[in-house]
Parts: sequence; C-alpha cells; structure tokens
Amino acid sequence: MNTIQRSAPRAPAARPLALLLAAAAVLASAQPPVGEGAEQGFVRIEPARDADWRALFAGLASPGNRQAKFEERRYFPFRRDPVVLSGEIRISPGRGLSLSYLAPARNVVIVDGKGLLLRNEVGEEREAPPDDRIRTAASTLARLLQVDLAALGQDFEIHGRREGSTWSLLLRPRQEALAGIVGRIGLAGEGTAMRRITMGRSAAQRIEIEITDARDGLLFTADTLRQFFR
Amino acid sequence: MIRAGITSRLAVRAVLVAFALGSAAWLGCLDYAAKISTSVLELIPPGEQTREVLVMRSLAEGPQAQVLLFALADRDAPQRSLGALATAFADELRRSPAIAEAVALGVPAADEALGRALFEHRLRWLLPAWLARMHREYNGGPGNEAGFPAWMAERAAADLERFLARPEAVGMQELLSRDPLLLLPTLAHEGEKMLPLGGSGREGLIWARMRGSPFSEEGQSPVFAAIEQARVAAGIDREGLELKWTGLNRFAAASRARIESEVRWLNLFSLVAVVLCSLVFVRRILQLLHLVPVMLLSLLGAWTVTTLVFERTHILVFVLGSVLGGVAIDYGFYLFMQSDAYEGEPYGRKLRRLLPSLLASCLTTTLGFLLLLFSDLPLIRQLGVFVAAGLLCALGAAMLYFAQLERPRLEARCFPPPPGFLRSRRGRNLCRALAACAAAVALAGPWFVTWRDDIRQLDLPADDLRANDAAVRSLFGDQADGSVFLTAAPSLAEARRKLEEFHAWIANGGDRSRGVSLGLIVPTEQAVKALRGHLASLEAFPAEFRQALGRKGMTPDYFQPFLEDWRQMLGQAAEGDYQALVAEIDQKLSGPFALLANLRSSPYWFLTKTAARGPAAPPAELGTIGLDQLGSLNELFRRYRWSALWLSLAGLGLVIASVFCIYPSRRGLRIALIPASSCFLIFGAFGIAGQQLNLFHLLGAFLGICLSHNYAIFSAETSATASSPPVPVRLSAVSTAASFGVLAFSGIPVVSALGLTVSLIVLTALVVIEAETFAGPGRP
Repeated sequence: MNTIQRSAPRAPAARPLALLLAAAAVLASAQPPVGEGAEQGFVRIEPARDADWRALFAGLASPGNRQAKFEERRYFPFRRDPVVLSGEIRISPGRGLSLSYLAPARNVVIVDGKGLLLRNEVGEEREAPPDDRIRTAASTLARLLQVDLAALGQDFEIHGRREGSTWSLLLRPRQEALAGIVGRIGLAGEGTAMRRITMGRSAAQRIEIEITDARDGLLFTADTLRQFFR
Repeated sequence: MIRAGITSRLAVRAVLVAFALGSAAWLGCLDYAAKISTSVLELIPPGEQTREVLVMRSLAEGPQAQVLLFALADRDAPQRSLGALATAFADELRRSPAIAEAVALGVPAADEALGRALFEHRLRWLLPAWLARMHREYNGGPGNEAGFPAWMAERAAADLERFLARPEAVGMQELLSRDPLLLLPTLAHEGEKMLPLGGSGREGLIWARMRGSPFSEEGQSPVFAAIEQARVAAGIDREGLELKWTGLNRFAAASRARIESEVRWLNLFSLVAVVLCSLVFVRRILQLLHLVPVMLLSLLGAWTVTTLVFERTHILVFVLGSVLGGVAIDYGFYLFMQSDAYEGEPYGRKLRRLLPSLLASCLTTTLGFLLLLFSDLPLIRQLGVFVAAGLLCALGAAMLYFAQLERPRLEARCFPPPPGFLRSRRGRNLCRALAACAAAVALAGPWFVTWRDDIRQLDLPADDLRANDAAVRSLFGDQADGSVFLTAAPSLAEARRKLEEFHAWIANGGDRSRGVSLGLIVPTEQAVKALRGHLASLEAFPAEFRQALGRKGMTPDYFQPFLEDWRQMLGQAAEGDYQALVAEIDQKLSGPFALLANLRSSPYWFLTKTAARGPAAPPAELGTIGLDQLGSLNELFRRYRWSALWLSLAGLGLVIASVFCIYPSRRGLRIALIPASSCFLIFGAFGIAGQQLNLFHLLGAFLGICLSHNYAIFSAETSATASSPPVPVRLSAVSTAASFGVLAFSGIPVVSALGLTVSLIVLTALVVIEAETFAGPGRP
C-alpha cells in the first residue's frame, strides 16, 4: 500500500517567489539600459596595472573576518523619501557575506557559494532560486563588499577618482545584460575604509549603503556564525 | 483390498486427464496481464464511495501517480553546477515515447510562463479573494467613518509602505506600478513562507511524468529503459554523477517482483515442510508422491474455477491460496492411509465407508468458504471461491486418483503410547489444570484483543525504496516534519469552499501551522460572484487611493497603470462561469504545480501542506483528510473487518448446524467445541500478549476452525473408543501447521498474520484431540 501513499502529491518543487522574481526580472529587463554618462574627474583604471590603486585595493581587501554597521537607503521612483533600513554587515572568508537588518524589521540576507538565503526573525529560511540573474546580483554584491576588484574588473569597467585620502570608484557593467540586473555601481571611501556603496539604474531608482564602524580581523563565535551564516 | 476393474480404472484415469488437460488449456489461454491484478486499489470494492477511496482512486489513476523525480549529485564536488547536465537528461527523457514531459527545475522558462500568466490575470484570479478578505477585515474591525473605499485605500497604501522595507521589495519594484495592492508579492510571501526549499536549491533536479500507469507494464519496463538510455545519452555516468530517482512504478514493480518471489519460496518451503512432517509419520516416503497429483489437481481446479468466475483476480489470492496444498492433502492422507476394514476390502466399499466423514468435512468447510462470497471485499470473495473450489477438487481428485491405483495404501509408522505419567491420576490432574488455564485464557483473553487495520499491510514493505523516496523528495522540498492534507468534494466550487473552511479551521487552531495550497491562486466561487458587488461599492476607491498614496509620500501618478487596469476591469462583464475561470487557471499550471490540485474531474481536490505536523484529523464536515489517514484506510477496513466477522460467524454457525444434522448431539457437540475452543484460546493468547490483530487474523481463524473441524470429524470414531487419533489426522494437522507456519515467515504482514493464526489453531486442536484420549473422565 505504500505505493498508493506515494501517489499522493507533495509540495511543489517550484516556488511562488521564484516565479515572481522571474516575472519581475522579465519586466525589469524591458526597462531602458543604464546611461552612458561620464562623471567628472573619473579616470578609467586597471586594478592589476595601476600601482597607486593596487595598493589601495590591497588595503581594502581584508583577508580576515570583517564586521561593520550600515544604513541602507532605498530610493524608489514613486516615493519622495528613501526607505531607510539599518543593520550590520559581516564578511567571513569562506562563508560569504551576511547582511543583518535590524530596523525596521529583523531579517538576515546571506550571500554565499550556494546562492542567496533570506532568514526572518523567527528563523524561517527562504532560498532564492538558482536563477542566473539573481546569482549574478548576489555574487556582485559579495565581491563588492569583499572589495575583490580583480574579479569585478572582469565584468565591469572601473573608473576612479582620488582627492587626498578620499577616493571614489564607478563600476560600469561591460555587458548590457549585467547592466539590466545591477545597474551602475559606485564605491566611496577614505584610506582603507569603505564608506559608501551605491547601486541602481537611475537617481530615482537606487540603493545607497553607508558603512560605519568597520572592524577587521574579528573572531566570530560559533553562535555568530550559526546566526548570521549558513 | 481388491483393486478396481481395468475399465473403470481407465475411465477414472481418463476423467482425471481430461480435467487436467481442460484446466491447463484454459489457464494456458489466459492473458495474465489482464487477468491478474497487482494493484492494491483492486482489493477495494469498485462501488466503494467513501471519500478516502474516491480520492485515492483519483490519485492513483491521475497524473499524480505518473510523476518521476530525479536528483543528480556529484559526491566529489557538491558545489558543482549541474544545470546543464540536468537539462540534457530531461531532453533525453523527453525523446522516449514512454515519457510525457520532463523538465529540469531551476530553468526559468517554465516558471516565467506561470509568473507572467499570474501577473497578467492577477485582477481576475487574485483580486476576488483579496477583496473578500478586505471586506471581512473591514466588517470585523471597528470600521471607518469614511466608509469602505477610504478604509481600503488607506490600508493598501500602508501595506505598500511596509512592503518597501522587505528584502524582496527591490527585486519586485518593477511590478508595483501595476500591482500596488501587492497581489503577487503577497502570494509569493504566503506561499513561500510555508514551503521553504529543501537542500541547496533546485539545480540538478528533474521532474518528469510518464505516459502509462505505474501499475501497468507500460509504465514500468519501457520507463526504466528510457531512464537508462537517457542516463547514458546525457553522460551521467561519464561525468561521475550519481542519479537518484523515485516514482510509483518503482514501488509497483518491486512489489510485484517480491510477491512473485514470495509465491515461489512459500510453495517450495511449504512442500518441504509437508514432506518433512510426512517422514515422521510414513514408512515409505516415496509413496507420498501419490499425493502430489492430488495437490496439483486441487490447485489446478482452484486456479481454473477462480479465473473462470472472476474477470480479474488479485495476485494475493494466489499467495494466500498457495497453502491450499496443506489443506487439500488432508483428504489424500485420510483416504490413502486408512486401513482396510477387512482383508481384501474393495476400494469402492472402503470409499463408501469413509464417505460420510469426507463429505461432512469437505462440504461443511466448502459451504463456510462459499459464504465469503457475500463479503464486500473482492479479495475475500476471490479467496472464498479459490479455497472452496480447491477443496472440492481435492476431494474429487483424491477419490478418483486412488481408484485407479493398484494398491492405494500408505503404511504409517507405529508410535509408542503416551507416557504412563499422562495416564496416571497426577498426570490427568495436571492436564485438567492446564485445561482450566487454557479455558481461562480462552474466555478472558479475547476481551484484551486490539484491532488495527491498515491497507499497507497487504503490501510488502520496501524499506530501501522508501528511504530512497524520502531522500529524493526531501531534495524537492518535501518536509518530513510537515503534514499534507487533501480537501475533496464532488464539485469544484464545493471543494474550493471546503478548502477555505479548512484553512480557516487551521488559522483558528492556535498553534497549528498555517497551510498553503493552490487556493492561493484559485478563488472561491463565492468570491468571484461577489466581485462585481464589491467593485460597485468601490467607485470612490481610485481617488481615495491616490490621496492615501500621497499621504504616504508616494507619487500617485506612478501608479496610473494600475488605476487604468482598475478602470478597465469595471467596464468588463462579470465572470459568468466559475468552472471556465478555474479551467483557465488550470491550463497555465504545468509540471509540479499541476499536482497540487485536481481541477479537471470529480472528485475535485486541493492539496494543503503545513510546515509543522498537524495535530489531529480535521472534522468530517471540512471534507479534508490527512495523507496518513488516506494511506492506511484504517476506518474503511475496520468496516470490512466487521463485515468479515459476521460472515465468518454465520459460516461457522452453518458448519456447526450441518454437523448437528449429520452426527448425534454429543458427538456433534465435541466436533463443534474442538475448533471453537482452539480458536478462542489462540485469540485469548493474542489478546494477553498484546498482539494487534487485523482482518487477516480473522480470516485465518475461520480457515483454522474449518481445518480443526475436519480433524474433529476424522477423529470422532477413535474418540468414541478412547483410542489415539488416527495417524492421517495427526499427519494432516502437523503438515498443515507446518505449511501454514511457513507462511508466518512471509514478508507480507497479512500473509504472516494468516499463517500464524491457522498454524496455532490447528496445533491447538491437535493437542486437544490427543489430550481427550487420556484426560477425559473415566478414561484409563
């Protein structure tokens, strides 16, 4: 009789969120691509060749654990003011990146080699489907926060500007498809500290992330790893 | 004994040969694939209309039963991307005519098609339920002075604002200009919250559906071959990958193979057991070969009559019927081992002398088994005919076979008398004390009997396949700690309404986990009908919504596409045909989604999955059953067990009444008491030991009583003279107990139950018959 029991249907293998993200991405791809406007004072750089920038990038890319606070401002084209979220970023080499949102709601977004995982405040997990577009966005974000500019250089043209100890980078996607997914990316910082990340297609539709209180070389406890990574 | 004349011997031989040839010809012409059923569903009456059975039939005959799930894995490199190989494997599978569809999951094309359809039809499919919910909340809350449109506009704008802070808001923002009511994001949130992905994504998973039924040959060998071909063609082995897969056809094929194997070894060991027992009682063992034709003719007759009477016969009948040999041999033993009444007694005269006992035994037992024809269960009806026909053929074959032998006499070994201690006063007292204990067990024990009927006990447990199935399904997101419910009804509208009621029951259940189903997409008929009325009362909503958006700091003009869609919807005609609307949704469901509901034919049903295990069976009025409940059919089989119990009792009454008609009252009482007391003692022992019994223990008891009844009849003469029971009775009882004892080791739980019960009852009856020679009052 176990044969009959097995004939009973089970949970769907595809997920509604997957559908909707896919539908959203399809609609998003119908939007105009990123503009080609050139910002003043930015010069194109090659991370591997330019000695000045290479020293900066080496300082930015910490080999150990990293933790910082962040404030994310989401700009939507239909809202006058941005939606502000805050939380903590944790980066652990080998385990990936964790964005722990503390306000207005608690959520953890984990980006690692297995993909993208959302964990809500009661520990329920939702995994994004292995869609190429989502995977691309997640891996780009991970490489950004790990300041892996050598890897980023393969997919983006990198333009930079320095004024004293402050610096700014502009990452322009080489492929139109990538532009449709992540838009243009901006990074800004001082010395070896990254202060700001911006991503988006336009001024009205973008995300700004302000990073403060960054600390490198931390030792994450087993509890921290379990809570913020998978 | 004088042998029969040559002419009559030839005539008898001709009759036997003609019967054997006729039966063999009939059996040789049969289309066994069409005649023999292996499906457990055919054990249930075709007219059974209980909800569980209707749903189960719908599942087993529908596309749900045709699903195949595959999982690719690279053990050496778990992170390896397997999407391309999964796609190649699915492509190769689709090439086979045995496979109807195959898709590699995680490939966005199929998902996008449904996502696009959901988006395009969101106002027709999703809005009715959303508006109905808004109405319920508005009516259930404190209300709003400005009325429903203003309340709903404020509520929708607030929900939108909250949504913007959720992680998925960035990815979905492109949808919002046309879906500010969050119909799709809410669907995604509700659906996904309950169905988290198992494993690390869907890459390497392939979903497929075969064309044939998993219970037929069409759905087995050709499908297995297609999978093997696809595996080779897609380079699964070459790439060093592991392919795990599961499907109902694997269970069905394994079940059939194991049952066939069981039939073989049960027959073999049964025969060995009978021969070994015979070695103890018979001088010249080779003479036992004369009993083989009797057994074979009996089985041949049973097969022939059963296949003639029934259009389809279940394979379990032949498994259970394989022990008919152990019963059929009784008549052979009795005829073959009887001493002549006087030197040179002709066979005909001897047969006439023994005929009353033989007929009393055979006809009463046959009558009892024929009563099983009134059972509701096809299996029991078929078994009744099989055994009754087998017994009649066994008696006829024994009578005719020995008539054409030159010297039909099987010499028995001489046994020493029982130990003198047993005949002493102390020995008799000990026997009486034991008899009193046995009587106490027989009278009190049955009150402790507990029953548990589970249709799964009719099948061989396939632990390895079950473990593989669980492992593969977990990769597809099936959770071991969740519960699955089916809500079914004869009409689509009723099924959807009951689903709504079931979900309300879940939501009101305190700590019960909320459920998810295709009801998230399919609106209720009530909500669809109410849509026009709701919209008519929302004339002011667009203006109110613009104002509410403005108050939340949003630009109302951005949402103009939605407002335009709303305006167009107001101008459209009302949905006239609910069935057509649902059919439209059903058309867009493909692959795994199509298995979440049956929207095409009665009984219509919806699947609900809860993340946590449901605590109790839902009330009957919700029309919902848990899959565990569906799997066992416990309630249904309890009804059949009671039906079988009444039939058995009626059969037993008939047998006893026949005995009293044939024998004087004292002898009749003895013949009736021996089987009855044996049966009660064994059931009492089961009750005290805590053994849970089922329908097949009951059938075993009936068979055991009929057999014991034979021994009580055959030993009636010797009992009257206080001498030891005849050797044929001893040999019959011991060989029957041995052959049924073999069944007790069967891997099929019900066969084991039947074998154990019959074996114990028969042995107990033999002990009673033996004991009465020296334990009775006034015996030496």
